[in-house]
Amino acid sequence: MTRLNAGLALAWVVMVTAGCVTINIYFPAAAAEKAADRIIDEVWQLREGQAAPATGANTEGAPK
Amino acid sequence: MNPFKMLRRAFVALALVIGTVAFAQGNLEINTPAISTLKQSMQQRHVQLAPLYASGAVGLAADGTVALRDASSVPLAQRGQVNALVAAENADRAALYREIARANGHPEWEAEVRKTFAQRWIERAQPGWWVQGAGGWAVRR
Amino acid sequence: MLVTALQAVAASLPPVPGQAGLKLELGRLAHPAATLEGLAVYIGGEKLPGAVELRRLIVSGHVIENLRFDCPRLEVGDAGVGCRGARLTIPGLLDDARVDLGFNPADRSGFILARDPQWGRLEARLHADGKAEVDVQALPLEALGRFVLPLAAYAAGGVLAGKLAYRSEHGEHVITAEGGGDAGRFSTADGLQAGENLQFSFALEARSRDETWHWQAGLDWSSGEAYLHPLYVVAGPSLRARGRLAPRRLFIDQAALVIQGIESFEASAEIDLDTARIGKGSVTVERIDLAQIGPRFIAPLVAPAQAESIRFAGFMDLGVAIDASGLSAFDLSFDQAGFSFADSALAVGPLSGVVPWRSVGETRVALQVDGGRWQELQLGAFGLKAVVDGSRVRAREIAIPILDGRLLFTDLDLVHARAGWSGRGGMVVEPISMKLLTDAVGLPPMSGVLSASMPGLSVRPGEVALEGALVISLFDGYLRITGLQVIEPFGSAPHLYGDIEARNLDLFQLTETFSFGSISGFVDADVRGLELARWAPVRFDAEVRSSPGDFARRISQRAVENIGALGGPGAALAIQRGFLSFFDSFGYREIGLSCKLSGNVCVMGGIAGERGDAGFTIVQGGGVPALNVIGYNRRVDWVELVDRIKRVVESNAAPVIK
Repeated sequence: MTRLNAGLALAWVVMVTAGCVTINIYFPAAAAEKAADRIIDEVWQLREGQAAPATGANTEGAPK
Repeated sequence: MNPFKMLRRAFVALALVIGTVAFAQGNLEINTPAISTLKQSMQQRHVQLAPLYASGAVGLAADGTVALRDASSVPLAQRGQVNALVAAENADRAALYREIARANGHPEWEAEVRKTFAQRWIERAQPGWWVQGAGGWAVRR
Repeated sequence: MLVTALQAVAASLPPVPGQAGLKLELGRLAHPAATLEGLAVYIGGEKLPGAVELRRLIVSGHVIENLRFDCPRLEVGDAGVGCRGARLTIPGLLDDARVDLGFNPADRSGFILARDPQWGRLEARLHADGKAEVDVQALPLEALGRFVLPLAAYAAGGVLAGKLAYRSEHGEHVITAEGGGDAGRFSTADGLQAGENLQFSFALEARSRDETWHWQAGLDWSSGEAYLHPLYVVAGPSLRARGRLAPRRLFIDQAALVIQGIESFEASAEIDLDTARIGKGSVTVERIDLAQIGPRFIAPLVAPAQAESIRFAGFMDLGVAIDASGLSAFDLSFDQAGFSFADSALAVGPLSGVVPWRSVGETRVALQVDGGRWQELQLGAFGLKAVVDGSRVRAREIAIPILDGRLLFTDLDLVHARAGWSGRGGMVVEPISMKLLTDAVGLPPMSGVLSASMPGLSVRPGEVALEGALVISLFDGYLRITGLQVIEPFGSAPHLYGDIEARNLDLFQLTETFSFGSISGFVDADVRGLELARWAPVRFDAEVRSSPGDFARRISQRAVENIGALGGPGAALAIQRGFLSFFDSFGYREIGLSCKLSGNVCVMGGIAGERGDAGFTIVQGGGVPALNVIGYNRRVDWVELVDRIKRVVESNAAPVIK
C-alpha cells in the first residue's frame, strides 16, 4: 500500500515537474475561453439580451 | 529524512506553483484600448452581420474567421458590400487575436487565442446559423 | 446534334419506293461524333406510314434514350423523302414536338422545322448550293442545361434566339452566327458568380480556307447585373474581338472592351486549347478614371476590408504582359491620381509618374507626389525615385517635406515576399518647428524644434524598428526618444514602442502651455518601455523629478489644486487649508511623481524615499510658506486619470477641493 502511494506520488512529481518546465509557455486555455466568452458577449450583445429578456427588445440577440 | 516526507513536501511545493499558475489563468488581460476599439468596431458591424448569419449567407468558419459561404440570398448589388463586410470583420478578428496575445505579453499565443475563439464563436452561435466543423458546413441546432 | 443523327438515318435509307410493312433494324451505328444503338426504321404499315425508333443515342458523352419519331405520312417522290406533321418524342425531354422535314438526295438539299411548347422553334435548311442555316427561336437555356453540363453547373436560365449559317464563298468556308439572349440568369451554388435579368446580343463571323479559322466577334450587354466575386458589374460593357482558331490554339489578336470609366481597354492572348492556358497575352488599359473604376473594381480586389473607406481620384494607365510562366511585365502610370484611406487618416496625391516592372531586369520608378496628409499633418510635394528589380525596391533618397522641415528616407533597400516587406535603410527628420507642428495637430502652442537621426531603419513583415534618436528641443530642455519600433503601422491596431528621456524642461513654460496653474523650476523625466496601441499608451514606466541645479522653485495655489484634482474626489491631499489659502504660491524643494502603467492601472509613486504612512510625497515643500502634496491613492485607473487630466487642462478652472 505504502509502496503504491510512493509510486503514485513519484508519478505525480514527474508529471508536475514536467508541467513546471513548460509553465512559462503554457497557454491558459480556461482563461482564454473565459476572455473569449466575455468578448463574444459584448460583440454579439448577448448579455443585454440575457439580462432583459422581459423587454423582448432584443430577440435577435437572445442566446440559445 | 524520510523520503516520503520529502516527496510529499516537493509535491506540495509544486502544487503551489501550479496553483499560482492557475490563479494567473483567472485573469487574461482584455481591457486594453486597442482591444476595446476592436470590440466596438465588431459590435457595430454585428448589426449588419447578424441577419447574414441568420440567412446563412455568412457562416462562422473553423479558423476563427467568418466566411461568405452562400451569397445566393443576398441581392446581387449587395454581394460586394457583404464581401467587404466579411473582409473587414476578418481583419478585426485577426487584430483582436493578435492584440489579446500581445496584451498578455505572449505574442506567440496568437494561434492558440485564435483557436480558442474559433471554438467559442461556433459553440455560442445561435440556432440556425451556419458553422464550419470537421465535417464541413452545418446549421447550428 | 439531333439534326445530324436524323440526316444520317435518312441518308442510310435506300430510296425504296412505297413498299408496305418494311422494318429495318440497323442495330448499332458508331461515328466519332455520335453512337446510335437499337435503331429501327419502319416504313409502311397501316396506321403508321413511317417511324424511326432509336433506343439510345450518345452524342459527346450525353445519352438520350428511347427516341421515337412518328411520321403520319411519309412522302417519297421525285423531290426526295419528306414528312409533314411528324411527332418527335423523347421521354422526359420532348413530350410532343411537331416536326416537318424533307430531304432530296439528288441535290442534297433538305429542311427540318421543329416546334415544341417547351423548346421553342428550330428551323434548319440545307441548300443545294451547300449553304446551310439553323434558326433558333425562344430556346430555353434551362432545358438546354440538361445537355450542356456547364450550363447546368451555373444554373443558367433565360431564352436564346439566333441564326447560325454556313456558306462556301470563293473556296472559303464561312460561318456566321448572330443572336441574343433575354431574361438570362446564372448562379453558382455559392452565389459568388451570378447574373440576373441579362439581356445581350452577339455576332460572330468565321472564315477558313485551310485548318485555321479567322474570326471576329462582338458581344453587347444591354441590361441586367452580375456579381463576379468580388466584383459587381452592371450592363453597359461591350466587347469586340478578332482572332484565329488553329487546331490546338486560339489566338485573340485583338479584343476591345468598352466600359464606362475607361477610355480604351485592349487585350490580346494566345490560348493553348489542350491545357486551356494562356501562352502569351497582353492587356493595355488607357485613362482609367479612378474615381469611377477605383471603388468598383480596384478596392474590392486589392483591399476588400477597406473597400468602403478608400477614396480614389485622378487617372491611371495600365499595361500588362503575360507569358507561359505568368506575369512578365506591367507598367502603371498615374496622372494626378489620389488615394485616401479614411481608416488610417492617410492621403496621398495628387501623384503622377510611372511604375514599371519586369520579371527579369531592373526598372525605374519615377513618381511626383504633389502632396499628402497623415492624420492632421500636411505633407509637401516630393519626388519618389526607386529602382525595382523583381521583388526588390531600392531608393537612394526620398525627402518628404513636413511643415518647415523634411522627413528623409535614405538608402532604402526593401524586398517584398508573401509575408510582407523586409529590409533596411535610414531615416532623418530635418528640423521641424514645434510651433508649426503643435499648431498643425491642434496642441497648445509650444516652441522648440523636432529632429531625428535614425541611421538604422529596419523593416520586417509588419514591423518597423528605428535605431537612433528623435530629439525635440522643448521648454528650454529636450526630449530624446530612442528604441522606436512600430508594429503593424497600417494595420487596424498599430503598436509603437520607445523610450523617452527628457531633461531640464522648464516647468513654468510647460504648466503655462497646458493651463495647469503655474510652477517654476525644471524637471527631468524618463519614460521607459512606452507602448502605444492605436496611439494610446498601454504600458510605460514613467518618472518625473526636479532637475538637479539651483533655480527658483515655486508652485501656485492653482497648480496644487490641479494636482489634487488628479487624485480624484477620494484622494487625500495633505494641504493644510486655512491660512495657506491666503498665499498665491508656495516654495518647494522637490517635485517627483512616477506612474507605472500596465493593465489599465497606473501605480503611482512620488519622490524617492518611503514615507512612514502609506502615502507618497509628490511635492516636498520648502521655504515659507512650505507645503507638502502627498498622494495616498497609489493605484489609479488609467482611463480615469486621463479623463481627469483632460478635464483639468480643458476646464482651465480650479476644480473644487473639499
